[in-house]
This record gives sequence, C-alpha cells and structure tokens, in this order.
Amino acid sequence: MSSLKYLLLLSALLVSARGFAQKIPATITDKHTPVVRLLTIEPGIGIHTNFGVDLLLTNLIQWNPYKRLSVASHSSFNVNNITQRNFNHIKTNYNYSINQKFGVGTSLYSKRSTHTFLLMVGARYTSYKETLDSDDFEKTGVAIDALSPDYGLMYSLKRGWKKCFFTFRTYLPLYPWPVKGSNPLYLDGNMNNISLELGIGVKIR
Amino acid sequence: MSAKNKSMMFKNTPAIAIAIMLLSFLGSCKKEVFSPELTREFSIQSTANGANYDIKVGLPANFDPGMEKYATIYVLDGEDNFDFVSNQCKEISDKNAVEKVLVVGIGYGKDRSIDYTPTKISSETGGAPEFLNFIKTQLIPEMEAQFGVDTARSSRVILGHSYGGLFGANVFCVDNELFGNYILLSPSLWFDDLISLQLEKDYREHNKDRSQLVFMGIGAAENLGRMQAPFEAFYQTLRDNYSDIRLTQNREEDLDHMGSKNPNIIKGLNYYFQNR
Repeated sequence: MSSLKYLLLLSALLVSARGFAQKIPATITDKHTPVVRLLTIEPGIGIHTNFGVDLLLTNLIQWNPYKRLSVASHSSFNVNNITQRNFNHIKTNYNYSINQKFGVGTSLYSKRSTHTFLLMVGARYTSYKETLDSDDFEKTGVAIDALSPDYGLMYSLKRGWKKCFFTFRTYLPLYPWPVKGSNPLYLDGNMNNISLELGIGVKIR
Repeated sequence: MSAKNKSMMFKNTPAIAIAIMLLSFLGSCKKEVFSPELTREFSIQSTANGANYDIKVGLPANFDPGMEKYATIYVLDGEDNFDFVSNQCKEISDKNAVEKVLVVGIGYGKDRSIDYTPTKISSETGGAPEFLNFIKTQLIPEMEAQFGVDTARSSRVILGHSYGGLFGANVFCVDNELFGNYILLSPSLWFDDLISLQLEKDYREHNKDRSQLVFMGIGAAENLGRMQAPFEAFYQTLRDNYSDIRLTQNREEDLDHMGSKNPNIIKGLNYYFQNR
C-alpha cells in the first residue's frame, strides 16, 4: 500500500499546486515578478532510492516556449552498484547505464521557486558484467547489455532569483508497464529506481 | 471553440496527461485471487521446528482423485504466490488440455529467511533442514492421504523465488529423491559464500544420473553484483554434469528481482507442462 500512498501524495501535490497556480498569477506575477526562465541548463548529481548504491551524473535542459509549457531533455550517466563490487567471490567488472529522455510538462511559479512537472519518455542502455571468481569453482562470467524504454514522471524544483540557481529533481520511472501488485517491491524496481538529484542551474535566456 | 479556450486546453494538457497516467497506475495495482470454490485450506504444525504452516491447495476443475493421479506443485512463499501460480496453472493446463495438477501453497511458519536458508550464518538463517523435513515427512504424506496425489517423484514440482529458489536448489542437491521437477526463480545462490554450488558438487555423484527437469529464471536487470554469476555457474554445472536432465534458463529483459518473478513463473510452468 505504500506505493499508493506515495502516488496519492504526488497526485494531491500536483492538483493543489495546479489549483494554487491558477489563482495566483495575477498577484505573484504582477507584484513580485517571479523569475520566468525560458532556457536553462541544470547539471547535477544524484542517487537512486535503492539505498544509495548508484551514483548519477545528470543534466537537464529545460525550455519554456510559454510560461506554463515546458519541454525538457534529461541525460544521465549512472555508475550502478558503486559500493559493492566484490561480494562472496562475485566480482562486478563494470556496471553502468546511460539514460536519455525527453519530456513535456507544465511549470508553476511562486515567489522564489519554479516547480515543473514533466512526462518523460526516452531510452536506457545498461551494461554490466559479473564474474564468479573462486578457487573452489570454475570461473564463470556473465555480461549483460540491454537497451530498454524509459518513461515516467519528473518533478523539478528551481530555487533562486538570479542567473544561477539551485535545482532539485526527482524522477519516478513507470517502465516496465503495467506494474503488478501494490507492494513497492513488486513495481519492477520502480520504487528502487526513483532518482533524487541536486544541482546548480544556469539561466541562458 | 474560442482561441482563449483552445489556449487554456493546450496549457492544461500536460497536467491532464500526468493525472491520467497516475490514475492508470493506481488502477493497475490489484491482487490476483484464485477461485475460492477450488481452494482447500488447512494447517499443519511442524514436528521439526514447532511452527504452524498454513497450506492452501488449488484444485483443478472436476477434481476426482478416484479417477486420476494428480501431480503436485509445491509453491514456496505460498501466501504471495499461491493465487498467481494456481491461476496460471489453470490457464496453461486448459490451453494444453492437461489437468491433473494440484497447486500446494506453503505459508510462512517461521520467517522465510530461516526456513529457506541451508546454513546458519546469523540468528535469522539456517532452518532449511527442519523445513525440508516438514515437507518430506508431514506435508507430502498429508497430500497423498487427503487428496490421493501421485506418489511418484516425477510428479512433484517445487517452485521457489529468491530465498525460495535457494531452498529449491538445495533440495535438488541434498534430497534429490524427493522432487523430480524444479522451478528455480532468481535463486539466492550467493548465500553463505556460494554454499549451494558447494552442495551441488558434494552431492553430484548421487544425483547426476537421475532424471529431472529444471527451469531456471532470473531478471536481466538484477544487477546488484550477486545474482547473475552464481546463477550462470549453477546452470552450466547442471548442463555439463547431469546426463538425464531437461534444463533451460530464461532471463527476463528489463526486469529485476521482483519484477521478473511472475513472468518467470509463467515460463517455468509452461516449460514443465510441455516437458514433463
């Protein structure tokens, strides 16, 4: 049921933020002039929610052709399972993935922050190799390379007034679809692969 | 439609799409249930470890032990897997026009990490010998007495996932006379410095000429540095050293430890029904 709680929370946040945003533009926009960034580049680093064993080097490029319409490109190079490369005579020779997604969504503005919700679609390439290396058994290696779709929901927060700003992003993957069962562990790893990213953004326009 | 309305609709499209996706996501979270009319339930207290095990038995339609001898599929983590396996068995056996299979879901007595692991490396592990003893001396005889199931080794299947797969692999090694068919899903063969590979080696001479069917399944996205290499080593050992074995392996693309379970159950059952 935990996954339902997370999703209901996210839905509530989305709905309330949307409602809030529809009411405030006249006041906030006019009186406080929130920063509307047309084009930003936001490099960052992050982890997955699988106990922090993956390191993510990421970049988001966001373009707002209209104030409330956002399009984005998110790139990520992940070094997976970084903390455990030798376990019970099982060696991880390499383990990484490259993700590239494009998305469309909406941006909401408050006095110092911008909240962007995006639907992202793209692809993920994963490559890793494990070798069983023990004196007692025959040496056995397995290399796996996989190209798969990658789609889900992204929330991006930008905070700051000036050309440079702090940014936080989280991404909930929805692939593989459909998910089965309500136990987070059954979501085909989705709940383990929620990404949390922090970075510094630069406003280009 | 006015230009203003069109513009509003365009602006709201992303939020509407996200909301629809979330609602679809919520709608997809439902638990599968097997027909209550075809399910029998009882409990057995283990004389080996004192724990009480809830057993669920999924019967085929038109179950008639007087006319037929039924094979049995013993399902570990029965509380999680019984309904799915029973429904799949019904579907696959209907499709292939073969019935005669009972699904036996074994609930949790002690913690699964105790019951399914062969050696004691902490207070939470090492109860597999007692659990196996319970299956061998109490559960299987009870099934034979109460449901008249086939007593032949070749008519018994054990299906387990993760620690359950480890338990199945250990049964294959240490008590190979008990089951003739093994569906081993994402088995935790890394456990205790690869103890299962050592057990296989130790018991190989006793088991290598016996007829058996083994399906091994795993998720290709199980990349936590412990699952793939021992899985492959166990598979290659069986392939190279066992003379009368029907053996296959399957890697579910893009799926991880839990996500690959149900697809591999389906493939494992199909392999069993087609090759038994």
